Amino acid sequence: MTRALRLGGWRGALLLAGVAALLFFTAFPFAWMIATAFKAPREIFVSPPTFFPSELTLENVSRLFAQTRFATYLANSVLVASGTVALTLAIATPGAYSLTRFRYRGRETISATILFVYMFAPIMIIIPFYVLMRTLGLANTHLGLVLAYTTFCLPFALWLLRTFFQSIPLELEEAALTDGASRAQSVRYVVLPLALPGVVATGIFTFILAWNDYIFARVLISADELKTLPVGIADLYNASVVDWGMIMSAGMLVLLPVLAVFVVVQRYMVAGWGSGGIKG
Amino acid sequence: MARERSARTGWLLVLPALALLCALTLYPVGYGIWISFFDKHSFFPGERFVAAANYLAVFADEEFWRAVRLGLVYSISTIALQLGLGVGAALLLNEALPGRNVLRAIVVFPYVIPTVVAVIIWKWLLNSQFGLVNYALETARLVDEPISWMGRDWIMVSLILVSVWQFFPFVVIAVLARLQTIPPELYEAATVDGASAFRRFLHVTLPQLASVLFVVVLLRSIWMFTKFDTPWLLIQGGGAETYIRTLPIYTYMRAFAYYEAGRGSAMAVVMFLMLVVAAALYFRLWRREESL
Repeated sequence: MTRALRLGGWRGALLLAGVAALLFFTAFPFAWMIATAFKAPREIFVSPPTFFPSELTLENVSRLFAQTRFATYLANSVLVASGTVALTLAIATPGAYSLTRFRYRGRETISATILFVYMFAPIMIIIPFYVLMRTLGLANTHLGLVLAYTTFCLPFALWLLRTFFQSIPLELEEAALTDGASRAQSVRYVVLPLALPGVVATGIFTFILAWNDYIFARVLISADELKTLPVGIADLYNASVVDWGMIMSAGMLVLLPVLAVFVVVQRYMVAGWGSGGIKG
Repeated sequence: MARERSARTGWLLVLPALALLCALTLYPVGYGIWISFFDKHSFFPGERFVAAANYLAVFADEEFWRAVRLGLVYSISTIALQLGLGVGAALLLNEALPGRNVLRAIVVFPYVIPTVVAVIIWKWLLNSQFGLVNYALETARLVDEPISWMGRDWIMVSLILVSVWQFFPFVVIAVLARLQTIPPELYEAATVDGASAFRRFLHVTLPQLASVLFVVVLLRSIWMFTKFDTPWLLIQGGGAETYIRTLPIYTYMRAFAYYEAGRGSAMAVVMFLMLVVAAALYFRLWRREESL
């Protein structure tokens, strides 16, 4: 139930002013990035600054692809993030199902461990993790990076999926079992279709986490041709004279996939399910 | 018998997840504690047992204590601002506004972007020569000369600004979720009793939010105190890097700039213990509040 809002009166005016300020604070930086990305290099530095580009240009974007290895970084990021989603879901889905549907000794301990590990920050394990990956010969490989991302995606994926499986009534499965379906069949035809939105949402949160990571990629990857976007862009920025038009267009392009998948999951986020859906 | 078989299936299904957690998280944590007692180079094999020497070196290191102080300044100020802004924004976005869902999505968005993008956007806005923020301040005659946002006097302020912008949506998400479950009857009863909007917030909303705020403060404290990428990326190329060298940054440098994996691990362990102690105190404090 929502209380009807009267937009008149001082309360309404105050509310609108608050919302406008909030919106300006969160959205304006993005708008400025996009505006800069489409400006010709000389217009970027004019004083007084213009908001709307006097002529829209793709110069910055084409320079980004022509003069840097942006396309390579992009391909690497897509590969590593997709690999992480596949591995995390393949392991977390049966795991979460087991944690909600079976009784065995140690189940609660496992759940508690998962919640504990969820609170870990990368900096606390990065040093031993790096030494371990070096010993295994996995430093400077995409596989090593996928494993690193799985470490911090797995706990939250298990936790989210567990919540989701808990919301599927047990009676539905029991009915299927009573009707003579096997456990595998009841999972295949009853549980999975109902759990699918949760699995998809969890996959998307995993994708965003892997796509956004900086620290693991920084430490584990040294070869330029293996770098992912966040590290590639950070290096681009640090290179020499900052090419603001190019950097802003890089930032804009990295956000496109995030924006696309965010549209799908944002309603889960603000509805509260998966409020812990992402860490950072 | 059926129960035993089902217990076995349950174990088999959770086993891969458990194995991966042990191999890739719990084992490294244990290994990190182990090498904190060794003199170990980050790249080359071989190590030498030095007992507590790494820990003694850490505690005797002025730079370490400075990093702890800077880390505390950073986390306490960002958490306070995130809470204030986050709760305020959540209350606003809980009103029946037109286009409310779109508004909510926009406000949450900074939380899901790569940190490197947040940092480059703000580095451009805060650029001392061509940045829009300095232009606006000068045009409004609030300052006489451009502020050097990445200079030593202002870099902590800039870091706090970027971090609050990036992370306050987490508070919005959590609080908004809780606000939606507060029964409207509570407000109606309070209104009938003649409570003003402010008193309704104080006596109805706030107590209902207490438990979610407890978790939010806990998680944000852990994640802000261990935050690496925002300060690290902001530091680059400024010349004022020592002014935001928080504990995670210094730990990272020990391991990957000085190549001292043993000492770096010792710092990571100390950081972890600090968090455990802080969390224990926090839980005790909370319980006392509850019993009052």
